[in-house]
Amino acid sequence: MALTSCSLLRLQPGTTGSIQRIEGMNPILRRRLADLGVSEGVMIRLKGKGPFMGPITLECNGQLFAIRRKEASMIEVKVS
Amino acid sequence: MSSIALVGNPNTGKTSLFNTLTSSYEYVGNWAGVTVEKKIGSLKNGAGKLIDLPGIYSLHPLSRDEGVAAQYLIEETPEALINIVDASQLERNLLLTLQLLEYGKPTILGLNMTDVAKARGIQVNPDILSEQLGIPVLPLIARTGKGTGQVLSVLEQPSHIPPVTFQLNYGELAEEAIASIVTHLQKISGLPNLRWVALQLLEQNPVILELLEKRTDISGLLLIADTAQTRLQRDKLALTLPQWIRSVRMDYIRKVCAEAIDSTLQKPHNLTERLDSILTHRFLGLPLFILFMYAMFKTTFDWIGGPLSDLLDGFIGGQLSDWTNSLLGAIGASEFTHALIVDGLIGGVGGVLVFVPQIFILFLMISFLEDSGYMARVCLLMDSTMERMGLNGKAFIPFIIGFGCNVPAIMAARSIEQPKDRMLTTLLMPLMSCSARLPVYLLFAAVFFPAQQAAAVLSMYVMGVVFALVLCKFFSKYLFKNEASIFIIELPPYRMPQLKTLSRSTWEKGKGFLRKAGTIILAGSVLIWLMSYAGPGGLNVDMDHSFLAKFGGFIAPLLQPLGFGTWQAGSTLVPGFLAKEVVVSTMNIIYHAPDTAGLEGQIASVFTPLSSISFMAFILLYIPCLATVGVIKKETASWKWTFFSMGYSLVLAYAVSLVIYQGGRLLGWS
Repeated sequence: MALTSCSLLRLQPGTTGSIQRIEGMNPILRRRLADLGVSEGVMIRLKGKGPFMGPITLECNGQLFAIRRKEASMIEVKVS
Repeated sequence: MSSIALVGNPNTGKTSLFNTLTSSYEYVGNWAGVTVEKKIGSLKNGAGKLIDLPGIYSLHPLSRDEGVAAQYLIEETPEALINIVDASQLERNLLLTLQLLEYGKPTILGLNMTDVAKARGIQVNPDILSEQLGIPVLPLIARTGKGTGQVLSVLEQPSHIPPVTFQLNYGELAEEAIASIVTHLQKISGLPNLRWVALQLLEQNPVILELLEKRTDISGLLLIADTAQTRLQRDKLALTLPQWIRSVRMDYIRKVCAEAIDSTLQKPHNLTERLDSILTHRFLGLPLFILFMYAMFKTTFDWIGGPLSDLLDGFIGGQLSDWTNSLLGAIGASEFTHALIVDGLIGGVGGVLVFVPQIFILFLMISFLEDSGYMARVCLLMDSTMERMGLNGKAFIPFIIGFGCNVPAIMAARSIEQPKDRMLTTLLMPLMSCSARLPVYLLFAAVFFPAQQAAAVLSMYVMGVVFALVLCKFFSKYLFKNEASIFIIELPPYRMPQLKTLSRSTWEKGKGFLRKAGTIILAGSVLIWLMSYAGPGGLNVDMDHSFLAKFGGFIAPLLQPLGFGTWQAGSTLVPGFLAKEVVVSTMNIIYHAPDTAGLEGQIASVFTPLSSISFMAFILLYIPCLATVGVIKKETASWKWTFFSMGYSLVLAYAVSLVIYQGGRLLGWS
């Protein structure tokens, strides 16, 4: 199966990808994500996108949370 | 007396457990960051003190409330710890657990929310978990109190909790660094577990670094850390030492979870998912939120709260006054006493008490929002708007709490990660219309806009929010360095709030209002009444010649351009700074109104619809009350910002009322 790597934002809502790289992110946010178990190699699911280009909802390890699109675009995922 | 600390991730039920284990009651809610300050209570069985700490993900603090928890563990020495973990989120929760085990104090693991986990098809085996971690594990459902009896009985003898023997091997390189740091630390007295301090140092925990800096020269220790990090990089094990430590812990946790958890039957959050697909829908989400807010106000003012308040008003103004009158007549009270009790006390305090039903219903609905999990979604919905204004969506939780009372709302801002966002939220909070301002709107809306009461009152709240957003943009542009704001919010699963929790938290919020009625409003009423009863000409003067009239007359000319330049309106504003409720008490006394109906008649003759809007806007904006000023000073730790918050609101109130009144007159309204 071909593996492609793209920004998390490109995922279709409801689909899952595995995190490849997180780059250029604000260190505080980076730590907070790590606290929630978001790091390289972990599976992450895009749940939905908020109104007016607002934050997107993600699920990781069964925990739901939301971050802004700009930051989400810094998370690169691999979809099979 | 021994002290035992409750530690755990945010929103795992620490405070619920605290409330069942102690006889006190603290604020609970369904979002991360409810507890922002440590709370101390006495255990029910008298075995010692229990300390509820703000939720943390790790001992490395990012926000101010987390700093409180980290600081506590480092500076104080609890005899034992209770680590609460969410059974449905065990992997993430155990990261903190490992750090607590390294701390070395006797620890009990409270495996909470076993019901939630079970409903999602996650089975956690407490025995295996206990065996793997080497500490007692007690399954719990803190919300309902199930399993808490067992915790209490274990705590009866804190010294019987077995000591922790847990030690994780961080690999040759890191272990070498730990060992040499520990040798250095041995020279310093009064530190907690040295291996733990060494590990926190390697993780660059700012609280630990600061503590060590005070006691010793840490450059040598930092050099050890640097060397270890370079060697890790050379061996291509990890980029940084903190990352390495974290990954070793995660590997271990995955191993533990693989043994202790059976998640083969795991189901998605069905209810939460279905609700979220509507409530956070990209088009429907915001209109639904506005609809809910409108329904909330409609219930408070029209559907339920209004009629109840009318009943109470009928009682206070009718029967109660009559009884008091005949009682005072029967015992032959002097005219002074008679006037003090009927006009001062019943008029002043009673005039505020009639709004109790409405305020309690508003609190009930705020409690429902808090406990259901919807609050976090509102932040999500509002973030893009807030971001454009230079703030982040997380500030919305404090703002909604601010509709109840500004004081706890400013405390709640502590969970916001960035100092700039926190400061902005604190400064703008006084614009959130708290329940104390509500009686003023209710009174005026009933007189001038009887058909659209809910809409009139709601528009005051909206006005406050709109000004907060506009000023936020302005302040963040001109007053603060441009610091990028970040936003991340956990979305807890929705749950149906329990009746017990709801009534408890409504009462806790409303209690403050009643207490104020018995203290500051009572005192204010007596004082105002005395000032209206006495004048330069002696006692029982005509009110127009009383001290109150003289005093209000000083301010009145200033208020003339705003449409309410009477001494009566002027004299309500200064006592209103002590507590906004006193504005209505003062009016009751001044206008000698036996009940709300009488007061309404008086007001209709003094104010016009236009000047009433101007007055309501002025009351909404003019100054944070004394208690709010106190908490702003405490949280900002700066007199400059405290005076700024008072100054800008006064200027804003004057400008807005002026525009409303003069603009309205130009348009030909009256």
